[in-house]
Amino acid sequence: MLMSTESLPDDVRLIEADAAPTRFARGWHCLGLTRDFGDGKPHAVRAFGQKLVVFRGADDAINVLDGYCRHMGGDLSQGQVKGNEIACPFHDWRWGGDGRCKNVPYSKRVPRLARTATWPTLEQDGMLFVWNDPERKPPPTDVTIPRIDGATSTDWTDWHWYTTVVNTNCREIIDNVVDMAHFFYIHGSLPTHFKNIFEGHVATQYMKSGARPDIPDPEGVKMLGTTSLASYHGPSFMIDDLTYHYEGADQRTVLINCHYPIDANSFVLQYGIVVEKSEYLPEEQAIQTAVALGDFVKMGFEQDVEIWRSKARIDNPLLVEEDGPVYQLRRWYEQFYVDVADVSSDMVDRFEFELDTTRPGEAWMKEIEDGMAARAALAETVG
Amino acid sequence: MTLRPDNRLADVPMTPIRCGRCASRVLVRKSSWDQTSVQWDAAAVQGCAERSHAERVAARGRPEPFLACSALSESIVEAARHGELKVVDDVGP
Repeated sequence: MLMSTESLPDDVRLIEADAAPTRFARGWHCLGLTRDFGDGKPHAVRAFGQKLVVFRGADDAINVLDGYCRHMGGDLSQGQVKGNEIACPFHDWRWGGDGRCKNVPYSKRVPRLARTATWPTLEQDGMLFVWNDPERKPPPTDVTIPRIDGATSTDWTDWHWYTTVVNTNCREIIDNVVDMAHFFYIHGSLPTHFKNIFEGHVATQYMKSGARPDIPDPEGVKMLGTTSLASYHGPSFMIDDLTYHYEGADQRTVLINCHYPIDANSFVLQYGIVVEKSEYLPEEQAIQTAVALGDFVKMGFEQDVEIWRSKARIDNPLLVEEDGPVYQLRRWYEQFYVDVADVSSDMVDRFEFELDTTRPGEAWMKEIEDGMAARAALAETVG
Repeated sequence: MTLRPDNRLADVPMTPIRCGRCASRVLVRKSSWDQTSVQWDAAAVQGCAERSHAERVAARGRPEPFLACSALSESIVEAARHGELKVVDDVGP
């Protein structure tokens, strides 16, 4: 038998983590594409630890209500839309988009306290948003989702959209905003310039990447690199203006990366893409590009999910100088989990983190070259 | 959640730097000659001339984030060159 007899060190770094919050972030959350909710039928959505019902009334407004009837608890998502109201499948009680019971068909009156929970909605650029606020206040006018010009233009493709469930707390996906190194190790891109800016309710990641010498160019077109300007507008909705630079032409795309929490330990991840058409990239090829980019993003997220599946939640990550501003990002993110009155200036004050990556770039280039050399050596051995 | 301090700031904290153009005061840290962190407060943001200009220009259309103040960036590099701002890489382990 082999036994280690050295005494155990007592200065071990411990991973610390509070339980994931049971409160859900204040802010606009995208539930998906309007075309998937606007068919005049009720739709069930599990979000913010509850079950919601989403329906478009005869007046064309999309409404989001708590999913259960206040009468006897019937599941409204199994009911029917009648006029502007959702009718409960149990006793036909009618609920309006304002949360009030409008009619109990077999009764002269509706009870005085017949009011259920509602979520303010926003339909914009083909997407449906709901405003979540544990304090149940309406959205401030200066907290908005910016318009995406390409989404409504015939010069761009329609949304190419993915939806998937991820079984971990949604803070993990927020951390990606600052994790520059993981783009190389997990996603195979090579950032040359990286910047984070946190200010107010917006968190931005600006990134310029060169082409990696070990990944071949598609069909003989020389890829020079990419520029990505990606901002979270609030806790869950990111718009990424992603431009591919080819020799002689730029290809503009917009990538949405958004999520909404199902509960403390799972969330729905969605991403959508629109691609600009051009003389080089007519309709059919632009759609193919959107699909290809979607597949690429899907692969990236699948690699993230594989890590998240088994990783530990950690509130005290141990960082080196080359890591990004994880603590400052989490300080920004915390503003969405406290009452408005408790949002402190350090959560919303401007913070910048910039890296002109010539130095780590060199280190990574070396690793790529080592990898190519290893593959070449392997090919020789096999061949 | 309890917000925790960045373990890197324990060794080398952020240093106050004044912008040579508008005299806004920010906190700065350079972990290397390539890396820069800048902590602004509301007064510094309000006092920044380049930012005010960018906001006037961006009043139309989709608001672009203000990426950097070039005058402040120059002031930071100057402070690092003159040794008023330590570069963590140069401090040694």
